Amino acid sequence: MTAYILRRLLLAIPTLFGVLVVTFLLLYVAPGDPVQEMVGERADSATIARLRKELRLDEPMLSQFTHYAGGILRGDLGTSYITRRPILSDVLERFPKTLLLAGTAMLFASITGILIGVLSAQRPDGWFDRLALGGAYLGISFPVYWVGLLLILLFAVTLHWLPPSGYGGFRHLILPALALGTRSVAFLARITRSAMLDVLNSDFVRTARAKGLSERAVVLKHGLRNALIPVITVLGLDFGYYLTGSILTETIFSWPGLGRYVVNAISRRDLPAIQGSVLFLSVIFVLVNLLTDLAYAKADKRVSL
Amino acid sequence: MPDRRTLIDSRDNYDPRSLDPALSTDVPTGRAVSYVFDGLTRFTPQAQVVPDLATSWELSSDGVTYTFHLKHGVRFHDGTSFSAADVRHSWERVLDPKTRGGRGWPLYPIRGAKEFAAGTASSIAGLAVTNDSTIQITLTEPFAIFPKMLAMPATAIVPKHTPPDFGEHPIGTGPWKFVAWHHDDYLLFARNAEYHEGAPLADSLEARIIPELSTAEAEFEAGNVDVLQVPAQESPSWESNEETRPLLQSAPSLRLIYGAINTTRGPLKDARVRQAINLAVDRGMILKRLMGGRGTLAAGVIPPSLDGYNPALSAYPYDTARARALLKEAGYPNGIDIELWTSQSEQFPRIAQTIQAYLARVGIRVKLVQRDASSMREAARNGKTDIALKDWYADYPDAENFLYPLLHSANRGVGGNVSFFSDATFDSVVSKARREPDDQKRIALYREADSLAHVQAPMLFMFFYTELYAVQPWLKGFTVPSIFTGERWTSVKIVHPPKPIAR
Repeated sequence: MTAYILRRLLLAIPTLFGVLVVTFLLLYVAPGDPVQEMVGERADSATIARLRKELRLDEPMLSQFTHYAGGILRGDLGTSYITRRPILSDVLERFPKTLLLAGTAMLFASITGILIGVLSAQRPDGWFDRLALGGAYLGISFPVYWVGLLLILLFAVTLHWLPPSGYGGFRHLILPALALGTRSVAFLARITRSAMLDVLNSDFVRTARAKGLSERAVVLKHGLRNALIPVITVLGLDFGYYLTGSILTETIFSWPGLGRYVVNAISRRDLPAIQGSVLFLSVIFVLVNLLTDLAYAKADKRVSL
Repeated sequence: MPDRRTLIDSRDNYDPRSLDPALSTDVPTGRAVSYVFDGLTRFTPQAQVVPDLATSWELSSDGVTYTFHLKHGVRFHDGTSFSAADVRHSWERVLDPKTRGGRGWPLYPIRGAKEFAAGTASSIAGLAVTNDSTIQITLTEPFAIFPKMLAMPATAIVPKHTPPDFGEHPIGTGPWKFVAWHHDDYLLFARNAEYHEGAPLADSLEARIIPELSTAEAEFEAGNVDVLQVPAQESPSWESNEETRPLLQSAPSLRLIYGAINTTRGPLKDARVRQAINLAVDRGMILKRLMGGRGTLAAGVIPPSLDGYNPALSAYPYDTARARALLKEAGYPNGIDIELWTSQSEQFPRIAQTIQAYLARVGIRVKLVQRDASSMREAARNGKTDIALKDWYADYPDAENFLYPLLHSANRGVGGNVSFFSDATFDSVVSKARREPDDQKRIALYREADSLAHVQAPMLFMFFYTELYAVQPWLKGFTVPSIFTGERWTSVKIVHPPKPIAR
């Protein structure tokens, strides 16, 4: 197990280096100029030339890249061109907020989605199953943007139950987490349902029923546990969706997370901020994938690492 | 009693760059800087320039040396006294290459400022601190509107000892003391009881950062924010609603919406073609239908609220027959092909589509190029756009701030003139106006320059925008500012209890 984890972590290094190269190249060829964003609407060419030189933007591509990659190796993500603050502290300030939002949405989605899936599988094509199917279609089809605005209109503007936006206590978390989790609830419900049906129709479940176990024990102990494996895969894959989906959710709900930071950085062509946050998110992805694989082993004893 | 004693603004839609005046190149930064800091002069909400840290100033007879008399007894928020040396320090800091601010140009009229910024001089030759309350500023040539530029956020005064994280923990002499900055969330300021113009009426001021406009509207409707900048496309619904109409306040803003016509590209070199473009687009209809009628048609570049505006100069009429005739006269009876660039913000894409449709009627085939603001700015500054649909907000209230950056040949490209307009007569009139000490003569020159611009048509003149704000009924003393740093919330207070807040 430890050897497996170490091997996976070592394999992550070329992956991350690839991310570094691709991000750098993409930004290098992309239109837009960070220096022009720094100086604003009115400037003079002397200032622009001086800033370009100071930021090494006048140097050849390879020299810019080695300078940047050198900084990364020393653990320095650099300083924002625009705000002049260190990228790492900016990212670390915002990431916990994104994680809180994504985590809450994921928790909400897993509990609700799995519950609906299990209930649907009890009586396939029963009224609950049909209702859940209809709901799932809607949930998957609605864009997070639109769901978010509807939630604000209903719960904040009309009913005054919750704040429309902003960062604060649990009350501020509810609406964005609902908006972000909706699509996932629908998806998880469908996956859980079909996995449950497969499992419930298998031989060992028939055996379990035959030996006189209660339906509750059959469903929860034998059924759900085995149905969880595809669900874990989906959750792991969905984590990427949670982080990217949070860009929109954070914008609609004025949530001060990493998604908005990246969007701002892109619109201002703040190269080190874009590169730094993309690299940071890549590290998170690699770790989440590793955790997903470890979770398989936990859920399914047949998987050995 | 109101539930809250904090004034809450909703206008910022992205995180300020910094709270350091030297880095104030964008709107949220400039606005926050104007709360914490003072300049030698300041703007009123109506965009008048009045003394601030200066009590008065004199100009030498040759028009190049200003003697500014400074207020006595003003203290920074940390208790240290303000003096003339702070002025010199602040401006050296703005120009210092190490600051990397990029906003040195308001100080370039000072003798030696450019040399200092380039690193070839160790001090600014034209700045002389006479005593604690007097500073002499010598310019390279007469420039009568210079005091107006000292009200810009970039030229605000900071204390002598600025720590490296000054942009995160600013200390100024302004009406509001900095309290906290939660990035992408809100900025909090507290009343400066010792403010030299009289302490603000409210206890504190919160500037919320709300990126999405519909969210800001929801926050306003929920009563969580006190003012809302209503976007043009939303104004008809706010104006027609019985409940919201009484909350609306408007003011003409110093913002020009226009299409910069690159005068160096193909058929657009010909003034007749550019005039034809102006004649072919029904701007009145665009203003009414896409902008909720919020603005005044532009005949030139000087807004109606500024000296130099000429009411007798009327905007190009909508006249497709004349447009076609002019194109034919210019040698393009079969029309021309051009690219119209637009950003994705606000109503610009829709305005661009409408312009495309109008121009098609006179045979001008338009290819629309829609890019994000940064890409479009770069393309326009590099001369790669035929027409770039954009806007221009004044940095200081003077016609010069439109004529000179937008159309003087010295500012082609990065300086703001993305029409790449270069006309010797226009240049000489504007340069003369900049040097002219007499107000009336200068205004006459502004008018002359604006008429020249009108005839040469280096832009598709669209409109001057009118701001529309929704202001909560419990807010008293708020004035819709004509310039973005004009309202500093000093005489604003909450008088009626707001509805219970879900926050």
